Amino acid sequence: MKNRMRKVILTFMFCIAPALASQEAAGAEEFGPLIHQKDSLYHRIFVYRLGSFVTLQFGRRAAVNFQSQVNLRDLHQHMAEYTKLAFCGLLYKPQPKKILVVGLGGGVIPREMRYYLPALDIDVVEIDPEVTPIARQFFGFHEADRIKVHIADGRMFIRQQLRRDPVPKYDLVILDAFNSDYIPFHLMTTEFLEQVKGVLAEDGVVIANVFSSNRLFDAEFKTLLAVFGRCHVFVGAYSSNAMLVALGPTAPALTMKEAVDRAMVLQKRHGFAFDILTVAYQLRTNMYPNPGVKVLTDDLAPVNWLRTQRRN
Amino acid sequence: MGHQSSNKAKGANGCNLRALQIVLIACVCGWFIMELEILGVRVLAPYFGSAVYVVTGSVIGVFLLNLSVGYMLGGWLSRRANSQRTLGINLMVAGVWLCAMPFFIEPVCDGMFNLGLGEKLGSLFSALVLFGVPTLLLGTVSPTAVRWLTTQASDSGLNTGLVLAFSTVASFAGCLVTAFYFVLLPLRRTICISGIALVVLGVMIVLQAVLKSRTDKSRKAAGL
Repeated sequence: MKNRMRKVILTFMFCIAPALASQEAAGAEEFGPLIHQKDSLYHRIFVYRLGSFVTLQFGRRAAVNFQSQVNLRDLHQHMAEYTKLAFCGLLYKPQPKKILVVGLGGGVIPREMRYYLPALDIDVVEIDPEVTPIARQFFGFHEADRIKVHIADGRMFIRQQLRRDPVPKYDLVILDAFNSDYIPFHLMTTEFLEQVKGVLAEDGVVIANVFSSNRLFDAEFKTLLAVFGRCHVFVGAYSSNAMLVALGPTAPALTMKEAVDRAMVLQKRHGFAFDILTVAYQLRTNMYPNPGVKVLTDDLAPVNWLRTQRRN
Repeated sequence: MGHQSSNKAKGANGCNLRALQIVLIACVCGWFIMELEILGVRVLAPYFGSAVYVVTGSVIGVFLLNLSVGYMLGGWLSRRANSQRTLGINLMVAGVWLCAMPFFIEPVCDGMFNLGLGEKLGSLFSALVLFGVPTLLLGTVSPTAVRWLTTQASDSGLNTGLVLAFSTVASFAGCLVTAFYFVLLPLRRTICISGIALVVLGVMIVLQAVLKSRTDKSRKAAGL
């Protein structure tokens, strides 16, 4: 009996466990070999490298989606569509002075914003203290005088800003604290967005990075509309990413033509490595959330369930 | 002889029914403890975030601390003659507390935040104020249930195992159902309905205790 037990354990150790492990590693092959991993308070952080391409991933190794990806040979090349789409805020507020980015990841959005707009003050809130050193070491992110990473929960950071006198006002607030596997519900509710509104300049906009493929998109869209009254969408052309752009009280409600005109001016002024015109063309001013979803509140926000419901 | 054995069987049935009732009460409380614990994380997240400190530190920590105080108190109460009435009242108070909780979540959490307490201390004290009393009161159930089941010392271990096993299985069920399904429902309403359920259970227990003491008294008066 004892021998049999031992056999079972040995079989598991030498045959099944390595098979499981190799299967896990196979999922990541397309991003190249794993060059760094780190356990943080929230998840395991994985860094892969294939040639000059470095990829950041949280949690499951076999996940298809990545957090961030950069080309070390050309840091200004946008590997993911959403980091480009995040520049849509500039169409509404061409010369922002101060912006807030919730969620750091590889730090591509704040790094590129700063590259094109050197005078910009950038506050980044990242909950995970292990992410910043990794962004610095592998993804070409640097903190500097005008770019500051705060290690905090996004909502707590904004509440702390609201208590300051005077309350700092941001021209753009970019909400990017979500990954494809888990979404913190308290960063999507009306109560939270009311707090965001409190730190937003009158003519500023809030940009939420979302996936347009599931019903959470409709719920978040509806919630932004409920709080801000006006909300535009930039739909990814070749990814399921989308940017929901909620407009502050005096922000301009751009038409497609105005957006394109402004994009041409911006492209000339900043010489973006990507074409911001392609971003402007993704604007949808006549899009509305599908019916059948409720506004998200602190009381009721089944975000991780909505995320699994396909959008029809 | 025959008469005696049938009497004995009747006694055993009554005993089983009573044991079932006691275990059921322990199960209901086991369920609500875990339901509350999981909802507790959701209650605090809007105010203190969903950082590890809030979830594992404050909520789970406060529940464990208050359960241990509840166990002590329950053990002490179980020695009293009117322990059934006391237990029923405990459950009623816990239920009323839960029904009222939706109205003081915001003032408590905002108050802690305004005192300048961060995610660690703020969430800890908020969890203590919000969930301390109901968890403590729910914790009094298990020791009392063990006492009620035990008629001789040699059975005490068996009865303890029985109560702990069943109430923990119920806790497991409460965990799953809350985490998988109750999160799809309005938070405050779920807490309120749980409170009402506890009040109803408490009232039933108190009523039974009162009725029993009355029949006992009338029996005594009849000289039986």
